[in-house]
Amino acid sequence: MATLRPRAIRTMPWRLLGQIAVAIFCLLFLAIPFVEMVKSMIADPQLLARQLLIGVTNGAYIALIALGYTLVYGIVELINFAHGDLYMLGAFFSLSLIGTFSLTTETPWVVRAPILIVVLIATMGFTAGLNMLVDRWAYRRLRGVGSRMASLISAIGISFVFQNLGLLWGYLRFPFMHGVMGSNAVAPKSFPALLPSVNLFAGTGVRFGAKDLIVVGVSVVLLIGLYLFVSKTRLGKAMRATAQDRDAAALMGIDVNRTISLAFVLGGALAGASGMLVGLYNGTAVFDMGFTAGLRSFTAAVLGGIGNIVGAMLGGLLIGIISALSDQYISTKWTNAVVFGILVIILVFRPTGLLGDDTVQKA
Amino acid sequence: MTNILETCGVTKQFGGLTAVNDVNFNVRQGSITSLIGPNGAGKTTFFNMITGLYVPTAGTITFAGQSLVGLKPHDVTAAGIGRTFQNIRLFANMTAVENVMVGMHTRMRAGVLGILANVAGVRREEAASRQKAHELLDYVGLDAQRADDVSKNLPYGDQRRLEIARALATDPQLLLLDEPTAGMNPQETAELTQLIRRIRDERGITILLIEHDMKLVMDISEAITVLDRGTKIAEGLPSDIRSNEQVIEAYLGRGAAAMAQKQAQQGGA
Amino acid sequence: MNTRIRSSLIGGVFGFAIALISGGFAGILAGLVAGLINGFSVPQAEPLNNRAGAVRQGLVASLIASVLTILGIVIRSVLIDPVIGTPLNIASLLISMIGALILGIPVCVIMCVIRTEPPARERIGLAIVIGIVLVTYPWLDQFLNLRFMNEVIPVLVFILMALGLNIVVGYAGLLDLGYAAFFAIGAYAAGMVSSPHFGISLSFWLAIWVAAAVAALFGVILGSPTLPLRGDYLAIVTLGFGEIVPIAIKNLDKVTIHIWNYPLLVNFDITGGTKGINPINRPWLPVIGEFSPSAPTPWYFLILGIMLISIFFISRLRNSRLGRAWTALREDELAAGAMGINTVNVKLLAFAIGATVSGLAGAFYGSYISAIFPESFRFDVSVMLLCMVILGGLGNMSGVILGGIIIQFADRLFLPQFSTVVQKLIVASGNVSLREVNFASDFRLLLFGLTLVLMMILRPQGLVPSGRAARVMPTADAEVSHD
Ligand SMILES: Nc1ncnc2c1ncn2[C@@H]1O[C@H](COP(=O)(O)OP(=O)(O)O)[C@@H](O)[C@H]1O
Ligand SMILES: [Mg+2]
Repeated sequence: MATLRPRAIRTMPWRLLGQIAVAIFCLLFLAIPFVEMVKSMIADPQLLARQLLIGVTNGAYIALIALGYTLVYGIVELINFAHGDLYMLGAFFSLSLIGTFSLTTETPWVVRAPILIVVLIATMGFTAGLNMLVDRWAYRRLRGVGSRMASLISAIGISFVFQNLGLLWGYLRFPFMHGVMGSNAVAPKSFPALLPSVNLFAGTGVRFGAKDLIVVGVSVVLLIGLYLFVSKTRLGKAMRATAQDRDAAALMGIDVNRTISLAFVLGGALAGASGMLVGLYNGTAVFDMGFTAGLRSFTAAVLGGIGNIVGAMLGGLLIGIISALSDQYISTKWTNAVVFGILVIILVFRPTGLLGDDTVQKA
Repeated sequence: MTNILETCGVTKQFGGLTAVNDVNFNVRQGSITSLIGPNGAGKTTFFNMITGLYVPTAGTITFAGQSLVGLKPHDVTAAGIGRTFQNIRLFANMTAVENVMVGMHTRMRAGVLGILANVAGVRREEAASRQKAHELLDYVGLDAQRADDVSKNLPYGDQRRLEIARALATDPQLLLLDEPTAGMNPQETAELTQLIRRIRDERGITILLIEHDMKLVMDISEAITVLDRGTKIAEGLPSDIRSNEQVIEAYLGRGAAAMAQKQAQQGGA
Repeated sequence: MNTRIRSSLIGGVFGFAIALISGGFAGILAGLVAGLINGFSVPQAEPLNNRAGAVRQGLVASLIASVLTILGIVIRSVLIDPVIGTPLNIASLLISMIGALILGIPVCVIMCVIRTEPPARERIGLAIVIGIVLVTYPWLDQFLNLRFMNEVIPVLVFILMALGLNIVVGYAGLLDLGYAAFFAIGAYAAGMVSSPHFGISLSFWLAIWVAAAVAALFGVILGSPTLPLRGDYLAIVTLGFGEIVPIAIKNLDKVTIHIWNYPLLVNFDITGGTKGINPINRPWLPVIGEFSPSAPTPWYFLILGIMLISIFFISRLRNSRLGRAWTALREDELAAGAMGINTVNVKLLAFAIGATVSGLAGAFYGSYISAIFPESFRFDVSVMLLCMVILGGLGNMSGVILGGIIIQFADRLFLPQFSTVVQKLIVASGNVSLREVNFASDFRLLLFGLTLVLMMILRPQGLVPSGRAARVMPTADAEVSHD
């Protein structure tokens, strides 16, 4: 009989090293700037209020995009990498329609408002349909057979295809579009200033324009609509059931593929709306704007707890505010790094996000 | 006789569910011990705690005098515990030999620089471990011609045997087998029973077995422990377990147990 | 029969395309490429050692390929060249055609003969043929007046990086989307110690080691937070780092750090900001002297050498205890841990070795263009590298090299030349509306994107499936979470 040979057990300090790396990173990119930020915030409350309001407006559109990530991830566990680019295509599509209807700053409001609503609905329909088609054509084939990584890689591929479509869109110079695409395909496209820019807080030193209100208002209406849809309607309940347990949902007679399509449709519609709103608000759109917006929104979805609808809204608001503060108090140059830093930190330390529960992590 | 493995008050909770509840359990060195119980009793969870995949919610696990709680799976393997999985987890796209050689990872020393310089020691070690991998495949009864087949292309029974070979390659003192005969036909089961015995008799490796095949369990085990809904409900020699009311009840439900009892009484009367 | 015709068609299509797009004496190169590809894709003849059969097979295959290549040459010289302003030159047309035949047919026949040898000799034979082509290429380029060298060198740099990425993604199954960052880190590390930037002026031969070490260190540092993460989250975190690194490089040019009120650094320029670092020392060797930007041949052999050495060492690792551990990790992380593999160390090793390779590539590249800028290594570079790895076949070095050659040539030679030709044709046809479409830059993303999507859907194992195992994709998502 073999005698007991106690064997030496070595443990490695890598995990500690990783945590130290993240800690140093946090200190450099978050803690020190944070202290500086708080100091300057206290010094000028008006500026702070202004940035917070900018943050709310940004947060509104980020939340709209973030919902697309969350809806899809909640059901098929796919990081739909192309989602940010879908938002960009939404902006391009709406600009084309705006040109087609030859909306200008001169168009009277009685005409302008209904047409803008029509354009919004058409844009949402366009991105929703596109998102659904891509799911049908690309992602669905990989479900079940491929791995999570195969789907992610194909989503990255779609993202590049979308970006290239956005680039080529710049060459669309149909006479009926009245020249909205300008003369340089890759250059940023200008939206006419169709939203009123009167300051609602005129005279207080704080800026919150009517157009901010419109962006926030439309977003809130859409968010509430989505929330009600998912929590109250039969289709919405089917969606949640599928997200909880796809096999069980299938056993209960839910058409899983249709439900998944629905998630892509809803997410796509919101991304399109967001693209149009941002285009009108900033007055510009460019073919590669989806990458940053997409990553910010994905960060928002993760921050709120991916798969969680309220979480995505909350995360969007937070990321909007954080970016606006970072723009002012750190530097616009560093804002992307700050957002990516937050993304990394959440994924490493609390992948379930603020509102997520631990079941999400269960593979 | 010394105990190679001792657990004391081991408990595992998943959220509200207590999968393993306050289990005290010993494995004598050199024995073949079985852990049985209905599906969902917590047997696999118990294995996962021993091998470091789960950290117990409470309790201690001691192997050859050293505590295993908090160790990573690879540390547990290095300490001398090998295992197989209930649902086969081979490295599907590696060949049979490579699967076994992966098992030898902790017993090999080659480091990055040695490998890059291809020093003689590394070459020797590589050749020796390949040789040993072939021997292990032979030992568990895998056809030599199958050695270079990708493991996912092996027949089911061979995959189970390959998993055992891979676990043996870690050079364990204690081997945990999680339902090794699941899905096998009676002949394969009989062969595997022989193999398990040989591993213990020829290599002196202590065996802890989870198994549903009662014939095999009663045949081979020197001690049996029964789990039901996370709790240890019986332990002892196969003959004790066979007639244990609680065990019959756990397996067949309360009614059946009462019936069995009645039959026993009638038989006795 | 069928596969034989298919292989000659593949070779022929390549030859046709190169001849059509490149014009001039590139037709001769097209013949060579057609012969090589043809020889590679021909099925191994049965029985082995049937030389006569192989010769016959090679002749048939290369004839079909040559016909296509010559068709390309003729269309180019007769139909396209005159339209875009190069008059038809019968002499050079004939030289191209004959040259294509002279190079294409023997190469194809030789390849086919080699392919019938037993495996060990086949490998040596193929290595010799490839070696001859690689070594003679600079002179061929010069002789045929191709002027491709300044593109071939970056192609090799990117293939080297793809080989490094393949360690991380293909071997260890860790989807790294920020891999280009290590290229930047290597290039900057080398640049900082071999340029006037800090006044440290090491020679290239030392700086490249600094680059490798710094890149490896960053591989470990940036890899370590991702260790507990599941596949897709790991991908996103690496992507985040891949974006943070260039942002940091771009903005770390006026660093001011106060410790309380004591200024530690004031407007200190770490990275050179948007201006980058410039000039970076060039390598110096006896006989050759300092490498010159106008003479690409030494650079070509330098990067080729770095690449071959890397391939040699990577394959040693691949076939070792550690290489097996990588594969096991990719196949099933949980089982790998249970078999005694310290998954943390093995992952970090993959990150470190991958980063080292990329760092070497970066150091070379910085020295080659004698400058380094922050913006050149963003996400699109990482995705392009991923394309190369996936197109050829994850986890398989010859596949990755093939994928790299295809993607890089498509991106750097084919699309731009295609674009030039199309532009000239458009101008000649008088159609103004399409004149500004730039086919070189306007379809790049589509090329990468479609490659990724189509490969995932149609052929996830890549063009050349891994010899060890026809891997589909990393699938190991742990069933049990470690808590
Ligand atoms: N990772 C986990 N998360 C949540 N519950 C689990 C997990 N692993 C096992 N369980 C639960 O623990 C109980 C015991 O499971 P298991 O140990 O697999 O039983 P056995 O192997 O005896 O059939 C089951 O109810 C199972 O659902
Ligand atoms: Mg079990």
